[in-house]
Amino acid sequence: MVDTLCDQARGQNAAVACFYFDYAVQKEQSPTSILGSLLKQIVGGWEKIPGGIAKAFEDQKKVIGGRGLRLHEIVEMLETVSSSQRTFICIDALDECVAVHRPKVLRSLKQILLRSPRTRIFLTGRAHIRGEVEKGLAGRAAILSIRPREDDIITFLRARLDDDTNPDAMDDLLEADIMKKVPESVSEMCVLGATTV
Amino acid sequence: MAQFLGNINSFNTINHYNYQISVADERSELLAWLSPLEPRTRHHDVRNNRIDDVGDWLLTTDEFRDWCDCDGEGRSDKATLFCYGAPGAGKTYIR
Repeated sequence: MVDTLCDQARGQNAAVACFYFDYAVQKEQSPTSILGSLLKQIVGGWEKIPGGIAKAFEDQKKVIGGRGLRLHEIVEMLETVSSSQRTFICIDALDECVAVHRPKVLRSLKQILLRSPRTRIFLTGRAHIRGEVEKGLAGRAAILSIRPREDDIITFLRARLDDDTNPDAMDDLLEADIMKKVPESVSEMCVLGATTV
Repeated sequence: MAQFLGNINSFNTINHYNYQISVADERSELLAWLSPLEPRTRHHDVRNNRIDDVGDWLLTTDEFRDWCDCDGEGRSDKATLFCYGAPGAGKTYIR
């Protein structure tokens, strides 16, 4: 998604920022570090860092040991930068965000959209957070179900078989069997990414 | 005098060079201060492991097009597109 948007963005002077939630590093992924990383990606692409951010950075240096921004300050900065440039924000696996942080993250995104209505947010996650997303973004979310299509599964299997590290163990019969049976069972189980050949 | 001017020039050049470095340092220091996280690293992994064409159907759906094209004033007020699916359905790897 990020790459598709980046390709599009190039033509229209837009910014694309992404974030991937991950269970394994949940502790590091606090609302301030998540939203901060979006801000970092957007202004990192600018030739000049906006004055407000540069000033906040200089000011905090005067405090012994330095001091990070607070969530509301980051959100305000995101509102400002995303208003001045068409902005796409992509967030993957929101369900892997610590549950108590999720409302804060959603509220922050909602706030950014309020101030910067042209901003577009792409979210992915498991079905159980659907209600939370709809509620958190006050109905401003379109919902789409993702299931692998049969041709996706075939393309995926083909690529995996081509990368097989043990090709001697494979013969035409086995290969034909895999290409037939796996798509059949996967369409029931719906576990494309988790399938290893 | 010529030599003297020459020295001044080289002095200025060095100073200018140092200034450039400190500006670049300051910038990366500021960006790191905004957040220590580097989601672009994960993005590169996803990009490298993605299999071409898989999941591209999503880009042709009305939901995606409306979301991507609308400018906040048009027919749709859906500024967010939420794609949900089972683990391993391929959500992360949509191009």
